[in-house]
Amino acid sequence: MNKIFKLMLILPFFLFVLASCSSDSETNNNAKIELDFWTLFGGGDLSFMEEIVEEFNNSQDEIVVNMPAIRNSDYYTKLVTSVAANRGPDVAIAHTSKIPELNSRGLTEPIDDFAEEVGLDFNEFTKNLVEGTNLNGKHYGVPIDTHPFIMYVNNDLAAQAGVLDENGNIIMEETPEGYIDFLLKIKKALPDKIPLAISNAGADPFRMWWAFYFQMGGSPIYSGDLSSPDVTIDREIAIKAANYVRSLFHEHEIVPLNLADFYQDFQTGRAVTMTTGVWATGIWETTEGLDFTALPLPNLFEQKATWGDSHTLIMPIKENTTREKQLAVVKFMDFVTDRGVDWAEAGHIPAKKSVVESQEFQDLPYRSDYAKVAEYVALPNKTAYGDMSKRVFEQNLDLAWTNRESTEKVIDTLIKDLENLVKK
Amino acid sequence: MKKSLWKKDLYAGLFLLPFFLAYVIFTIFPIFKGLQMSFFNWSLIEKGEFTGFSQYIALFTDIDFWQSLWNTTLFVILSTPGMIILALLLALLANLNSKLKTLFRSAYFLPSILSVSVISFLAIFILQPYNGFLNNFIQLFGIDAEPFWLSNPVLAWVSIVGVTLWWTVGFNMILFLTALQDIPDHLYEAAEIDGATRWQMFKSITLPQLIPISRVILLLQVLSSFKVFAQILLITDGGPGTSTRPLIQYIYEMGFERYDLGYAASMSYVLFFILLVLSIIQIRAGGQGGRMI
Repeated sequence: MNKIFKLMLILPFFLFVLASCSSDSETNNNAKIELDFWTLFGGGDLSFMEEIVEEFNNSQDEIVVNMPAIRNSDYYTKLVTSVAANRGPDVAIAHTSKIPELNSRGLTEPIDDFAEEVGLDFNEFTKNLVEGTNLNGKHYGVPIDTHPFIMYVNNDLAAQAGVLDENGNIIMEETPEGYIDFLLKIKKALPDKIPLAISNAGADPFRMWWAFYFQMGGSPIYSGDLSSPDVTIDREIAIKAANYVRSLFHEHEIVPLNLADFYQDFQTGRAVTMTTGVWATGIWETTEGLDFTALPLPNLFEQKATWGDSHTLIMPIKENTTREKQLAVVKFMDFVTDRGVDWAEAGHIPAKKSVVESQEFQDLPYRSDYAKVAEYVALPNKTAYGDMSKRVFEQNLDLAWTNRESTEKVIDTLIKDLENLVKK
Repeated sequence: MKKSLWKKDLYAGLFLLPFFLAYVIFTIFPIFKGLQMSFFNWSLIEKGEFTGFSQYIALFTDIDFWQSLWNTTLFVILSTPGMIILALLLALLANLNSKLKTLFRSAYFLPSILSVSVISFLAIFILQPYNGFLNNFIQLFGIDAEPFWLSNPVLAWVSIVGVTLWWTVGFNMILFLTALQDIPDHLYEAAEIDGATRWQMFKSITLPQLIPISRVILLLQVLSSFKVFAQILLITDGGPGTSTRPLIQYIYEMGFERYDLGYAASMSYVLFFILLVLSIIQIRAGGQGGRMI
């Protein structure tokens, strides 16, 4: 009895010691370069990325990329703290909107120097996307895609509503009134269907507002210094864009309020059109019996624009890394961007021009219909506060979508909150 | 004899040691670290310059801080009476000598064992408009209404408080139930001999006997309601707008979304101070021999 008792006390300590030793013994296998790669992907995105990593590992025998599973919900918190504690990955996924913030904390390495040696040429990427990773003349990330806010149409329902021409294209005048007329026509023809499915809270109506704000020629939200920018949002245009989005919910009653799951509404054939990010393409494709078209968000105002962000590969700083290892990282980056077609399966638009032009990509259904959007997508502003301001935007704009405050008041509070955000 | 006692203490100490270590590392140490943070400009990754009380002073002019503190207080005001009265009623029901006693006891306590994510998603599912259970149920009775339970600020509070009641009232019920069973039978027997009615017995025996436990429940309830966070985050995410955002969510947003740990820590300390004052008041008010806990 007594012996078992003592053993039970000692055992955990042994296990602990064993566990802490074992992690060291794995690193030196055949002098291959091992890279840790962190991503925030889940679901379909994750499996496509896993395939690409596996392909890379099989394509050569000098570099091995390990991809541990990281929970998406607190990915950036984990990334920032780990990199700051020098326990970060060698290469990681980061949104373009996040790069200035990581950079202003001194957590990212510029890639230009290595890119030249590896032969990764930034000119081969869609200009708009590369521009997003360029801070003070240096590139801090390699874009692999962009995921803009677009529009989906249920072909069967649209045909029933009589808004398709003989070629199956939607009949719509690309003007602010034309879009509303188009939706009202659907509403009239199919009164028990949802003409446009979108939530009236959170990220998606904010993205729509963003798109129309920039279509109306709105000035950048922030300007000037990365870490202490000025808020330069155009108040009048911001109000105008908010009025337009709100009219879809209230004045014209096109979108039913407070839809609990508007993805499901589209997926189950209750909605005729819907707007969200391109990542939905992969979901609709695997939905049996859903005949749909993916289209750019209509450009209703003076300029072409839509909301979008972009996944990029970044090289976090690491104290004891070697140049050899850093070159390996950029080789991996180069490989991933060349595999853009595999990545596009998830719905994203590849960032490399040659991939977008390739026959292989053009043959993919749906994607090529909206690939041109990459050239004019309005990425979040380059500022250390780009990502943090999302919640500020959503919390304020939600009050407009639920019609609790006037749009003037909402935008005024929004501007004040943004100013408070960057002041700290 | 003495030696074996000493040995017993040693064994007990060894068993307590792992928990004690974890407790020091994850509870005691962070308490003091947090206090230190609240006096510094402290981002998620690095300690900045000493700011003295300036973050505490900044709090007083931060509308969002006051709004979220009010939201938390509102939740406490709305939920506490129900949490105590309903728990008492359920405990009385479960204490009745009926065949359904076991059913009552387990049925009311059952929701408490569910995790916050489960009850939150159940709530969203039940409360959602157009095809949610509750709205369909209302319409079944011919009421032609489509209330937006989670998107109207008033209804959102009703929903959150209702869900929280359903979820956690069972725990208080168990506390009341044990207290009910601790009331000596001879009191009732004596009352019965004196010809007291059931209501008189309840008023003069049961209720007074339950006062000590009620105080404990009130204290625990106020403390835990002030910490409300997870179910609101999951059900309304503080919305619509920020109208149901509790203080802890604002602290979380500041600390982990805006990486301003210093400011978040100073808000946490303000909350800590409020809870401390409330607890002292309650414990003091328990005076005249009514010991608590």
